[in-house]
Amino acid sequence: MAFQTQGSNLRALLVEDIKVNRMILSQMLRKFQVETTVVQNGKEAVELFLGGETFDIVLTDNLMPIMTGPEAISKIRAMGATDVMIVGVSVDANSMEEFKDAGADLCVPKLKLEILEHILQETRSKKNKSSA
Amino acid sequence: MSLFPTGVAASPRCSLFRWKRKLPNQLGRAKAVRSVGDECSPRGYLDEQFCQVEDLQDEANPNFAEEVVSLFFKDSARVMLNFEQAIEKHPKDFARWDAHMQQLKGSCSSIGASRVKNECTSFRNFCGEENAEGCTRSFQKVKREHAVLRQKLESYFQLLRQAGPAGTATRPAGK
Repeated sequence: MAFQTQGSNLRALLVEDIKVNRMILSQMLRKFQVETTVVQNGKEAVELFLGGETFDIVLTDNLMPIMTGPEAISKIRAMGATDVMIVGVSVDANSMEEFKDAGADLCVPKLKLEILEHILQETRSKKNKSSA
Repeated sequence: MSLFPTGVAASPRCSLFRWKRKLPNQLGRAKAVRSVGDECSPRGYLDEQFCQVEDLQDEANPNFAEEVVSLFFKDSARVMLNFEQAIEKHPKDFARWDAHMQQLKGSCSSIGASRVKNECTSFRNFCGEENAEGCTRSFQKVKREHAVLRQKLESYFQLLRQAGPAGTATRPAGK
């Protein structure tokens, strides 16, 4: 598969407690040359935003220790981070509603390369529009 | 029958399928790889997500799939051990049991371990029904499927290593 980068320069935050999932998702993002920061729970994600970090896209799991994905999303949105694309990733069908209610833009049960490519293209378009 | 279930539209770029189309002088290698699948039941152990994992391999990470699988078995063994301790220390704590199994299900889904994942789902359904006996039976199935998958994948990667890198294959003369 040819991985299109189109001058990516996107910054992603990956929020995932399961090592295997972190490894796979990190590698997927690396394929698209996305600069990725990885944390292991929602609290760490929120702390990054509180510390002034900015990201173009957040990919987050639902159930994690200390703070869940939806909880973190609610706090991030409440801080005023309304532009960042937030994607909930969880195999649990019940997670979709929780993610959407918390303010996620999108929820997927599993992240495949084709889907990630599409999401990154959308994120890039959104970023280009807002900086124009 | 391969490690993949019948009728699954697994990507032809996935290695188990790719090698079936290799040149005649690689048939020995293809046969070795297929032989791993021949021992499996037709229901299959892996879904197309495993192909996604293999697709992530590149020059910088040539053994990515094997590293992920190795991490999966190391992690999942720990999760199952924690779960067995939880059964002893927290009998009928279905919320706790479910949380353990949720973790395992998540990583199974990521590598395409469909049969183990399905047994995890079954277990979680029993948790939802607060059926302790069902949970115990289901967990035994999870352990069995996990052990079988481990054997299959260990054989698969061993065969891959023995077969050597695809780039070393040479086209037969005149073709």
